[in-house]
Amino acid sequence: MTRPAAALRTGAAALGPAVRPLVTAVAAVAGTALLVGALPWLSGADPARTVLRAREAERDVDPATLAAVRERLDLPADPVQGTLGWLGRVVRGDLGTSWVSGQPVAEVVPPALGVSLTLATTAAVVALLLAVALCLPALARAATGGRPGAGAAGVVAAALAALPEFVVAVVGVAVVAVGWGLLPTSGFTGPEHLVLPVLALALPAGGLLARVLGGAVADAAGEAWVRTWRAAGVPRRTVMTALGRRALTAVVPQVLLLLVGTLGAGAVVEAVFDLPGLGGTALDAALAQDLPVVQAGVALLVVLGLAVGGAGVLASRWLLGPAASAGGLSPELPPPGRRTGRWAAGLAGLLLAVVLVGLLRDPAAQELGGRLAAPGRAHPLGADALGRDVLARFGAGALLSVGLALGVSAVALVVGVAVGLLGRGRAGLADVLNALPAVLVAIAVTAVVGPSLSAAVLAVSAVAWIPLAVHTRALAAEVRASGFHLAARTYGASGRRLVRAHVLPAVLPPVTRHALLRVPHSALALAGLSFLGLGAGPESPEWGRSLADGVGYLERAPWLVGVPAAGLVLLGVAAGLVRTGR
Amino acid sequence: MTRPPARVLGAVLVLPALLAGCFTASPEAAEDGGARLRLALAFPPAAALSPFSDDAVLTSRMGVTETLVGLDDAGAPVPQLAGSWSRPDDRTALLELRPGVVFQDGAPLDAAAVVGVLEAAAAASPAPRAISGVGLTARAVDADTVEVRTAAADPLLVQRLASPGLVVLSPAAYADPAAPDPVGTATGPFTITGLQGDSAATLQANDRYWGGLPALDGVDVRFTADPGARTAGLRAGELDVAVNLPIAQLPSLTGLEVLSTPLPRLVGLFLDTADGPFADPGVRAAAARAVDPGPVVDGVYEGEASRAAGFFDDATLAGAARPAPRLPAPADPAGAVVRLATYSDRPELPEAAAVLAGQLRAAGFTVEVVVAEYAALEPGLLDGSYDAVLGSRLYLGDTGDPVGYLATDLTCAGTYNLARLCDPAVDDAVAAAGALTDPAQRRERAAAVEATVLGTAAFVPVLHERSRTGHAPSVTGLATDPFERRLVTAETAVGG
Repeated sequence: MTRPAAALRTGAAALGPAVRPLVTAVAAVAGTALLVGALPWLSGADPARTVLRAREAERDVDPATLAAVRERLDLPADPVQGTLGWLGRVVRGDLGTSWVSGQPVAEVVPPALGVSLTLATTAAVVALLLAVALCLPALARAATGGRPGAGAAGVVAAALAALPEFVVAVVGVAVVAVGWGLLPTSGFTGPEHLVLPVLALALPAGGLLARVLGGAVADAAGEAWVRTWRAAGVPRRTVMTALGRRALTAVVPQVLLLLVGTLGAGAVVEAVFDLPGLGGTALDAALAQDLPVVQAGVALLVVLGLAVGGAGVLASRWLLGPAASAGGLSPELPPPGRRTGRWAAGLAGLLLAVVLVGLLRDPAAQELGGRLAAPGRAHPLGADALGRDVLARFGAGALLSVGLALGVSAVALVVGVAVGLLGRGRAGLADVLNALPAVLVAIAVTAVVGPSLSAAVLAVSAVAWIPLAVHTRALAAEVRASGFHLAARTYGASGRRLVRAHVLPAVLPPVTRHALLRVPHSALALAGLSFLGLGAGPESPEWGRSLADGVGYLERAPWLVGVPAAGLVLLGVAAGLVRTGR
Repeated sequence: MTRPPARVLGAVLVLPALLAGCFTASPEAAEDGGARLRLALAFPPAAALSPFSDDAVLTSRMGVTETLVGLDDAGAPVPQLAGSWSRPDDRTALLELRPGVVFQDGAPLDAAAVVGVLEAAAAASPAPRAISGVGLTARAVDADTVEVRTAAADPLLVQRLASPGLVVLSPAAYADPAAPDPVGTATGPFTITGLQGDSAATLQANDRYWGGLPALDGVDVRFTADPGARTAGLRAGELDVAVNLPIAQLPSLTGLEVLSTPLPRLVGLFLDTADGPFADPGVRAAAARAVDPGPVVDGVYEGEASRAAGFFDDATLAGAARPAPRLPAPADPAGAVVRLATYSDRPELPEAAAVLAGQLRAAGFTVEVVVAEYAALEPGLLDGSYDAVLGSRLYLGDTGDPVGYLATDLTCAGTYNLARLCDPAVDDAVAAAGALTDPAQRRERAAAVEATVLGTAAFVPVLHERSRTGHAPSVTGLATDPFERRLVTAETAVGG
């Protein structure tokens, strides 16, 4: 450690535990504000031009006009000066005015954050309730001593987890709002406007949480105290409650991550439902390089992210209760689940068979006469908007989609586990990164690396490791609080041996399962960056890309959405059922 | 055992309820329960409805703001707030204001108010594009006569006054001269009475409107950026009118009507003449020969567009003879690698690019297609990062004149020269056309320039777009305007 860093650390330590979060928050806000402030310099795009474009889409950009805009913007000479000036004004309570609209930022960002908070909180609560409901059968089985396992609810959860949010959103609008007329299609003027957007966000998230929760239930059910309680005749309800509470420790931090992560990243769902939320505001402002708006939005998100992250750590401790003190827990490795391996193999086999058939056909042949042709003899799974064979594109896209998504998930797993094991349960980098709008991360990565497939992979990986790190952190905390860990430490086991022999075996299987569940997400996240020209090319048959292209034709040609979505769901279910225990 | 989880669960469940205050305020209900129109426009205000931005088109389409002159479908100036005008010399226009017009806040429309409007626009930084760099000055001759002058001879002076950036607002709107506020200060048939952030606006009929009492009592406007959301709102009966409907969803509009208006908007392929494979005119000619707009017009646009023979459609050229271009002799592309860029903001463009890429491949090119949001793509479009750009462009601009488009998009000094064309013959022809004062002559020369440019094969025309406005059958009296400035008018009504 270098000298100044050491001095800083002792200095921060001397400040005491109460000041420390404040220092972290200020450093995080200043750091992200600097990142945002440096974007024009990183990307080389002139803010005067992007701001002018946002105000007047088709104006001819001559040098005199640009000079006039630049003068009005009062651009700082360099990012450091700009950020310092901004911080100084923020301390005085002045968030500045938007470069594009000229409105005070305080009248733009907080209302949008309010909308996003309402949406994200409701979605997080609904997702948690859904996860608990889906896990009740497994919980009941575990409490009565039945063999834990995924079961039908587990398959449903894994299928839900693989559903793309924007597909749920668009199907919801078409069926519930337009078809049945039960709910409004768009807008945000009352609670009835909340139902469809919340479902779009909460169904996939709830499925994912249910799988994580189910894994935690199965793990907890193997612990000795459950057998003891059952043998002692403790009522089933009591065992279920205790088991549920024990399993929730792993899920609560995930729910909070979901809450904060949705705030700045809901641009797609916000657009479908025309909600004036922060995701869309941040996206537009970031593309227009409207720095005052982006900086204010990001600062608010970072502070919220840190606060919620800290709350998550506290909540975990509180849920573990007194058992969290050293030696109070006894995590054990669960017995292998039942027959899930065969299910996974069957589904993967089905997927593989369809892909192989598709690979025999030509995915690039256009035939505009057969535009949107329904499934039939010529096109077994229909044709897309250019008359290309959907089955062929499904097959051709499989390798790319699955390969890329698996790659991202593998990187995320390694980074997530490493960070989760090293971090000691404080709010930090993960919470800050999680709070940042994904588009901002992508723009920053593109600015540095240039637009390419690797930039997209990097941008998605930069965020994908966070839930895994937080999961690892929560599980590792349990192991460190266990009797055997304490015993090994007392006998003088080295730190490395403690991790290898005790922490990793307990942490790796559930976190790997979690990483596999997120494989379809990674495919969609990659496709979600295509508006920046990132990710698979526009003509690529990659599944996420095909979904995004087909969604406008949902009602005329449902197979355009149905086929790749089914592929992702099959992939998700198969991945979610893979046995990762020993 | 205590039961904290139950209490926590309860607390968690009410949390969203605490945030319920975050809903957007709904527009106030109509006071007299009369006929109101529910309208969805295609983009949210970018600059709080300041006319010195694209928002000028929003307020103008809502029937709130008006300009001194209007443009008819052919682009000729017609009286609006100015009842008549004359051109004493080629730098000056004398405008006679329409008598009896009052602003929505009660102030009278007089020469002093108009001079204030024009001076504020000229002083804006940057000035509205129609008067940028022309050195516009205004002077009140008497109470209802205004003299407008430019620094140099200007054949389009009157047309410039039709630009939405020059809407006439009452002196009260200019509290901040850089961002005039059209709320309650305009002259149109409808007055803005409420603005819900950038998501919605409430309008009431202006009972002092100079053109007579509007048929509607008011309009509820929503700014909905997502085309799918506009279509869904229209289909669910939440909206009466929605603009810019996506072609992909037109067949789902059962029981609704669609107004389809030809626009002066061109979609075509610009080939980079400065470097790359298309620096060779022969290779460009091979590409031009390979492109067949038919499948794009009939397939991707489903017939909701017309094939383009050149830059301009026949209505713009108003019967001017169209010389046939002479293409260079085509060369063999020999697998030349071409990067073709287009943007996803217009949903049809990526599909059209895929079709054109297929045609170029069939002709022997190797094509890589690049698609991104316009904002992320623009710097690369102009600096020659791509060999070909499939773009969509308005060619009549603010003044209804085609020559300005030729100057910015096709000359050496042009600021939006996607083809990076720099051909002295084209520059000379454009300069000669720009010096003409007679609109008919300008168009004739524009047709000649078009043939010259097409002869370089720097540009391959594909199609001219149309606007698609969906509405419930009960709605009548919507304006069809190729310049997309007018939509709701005093005559617009919602029947039984």
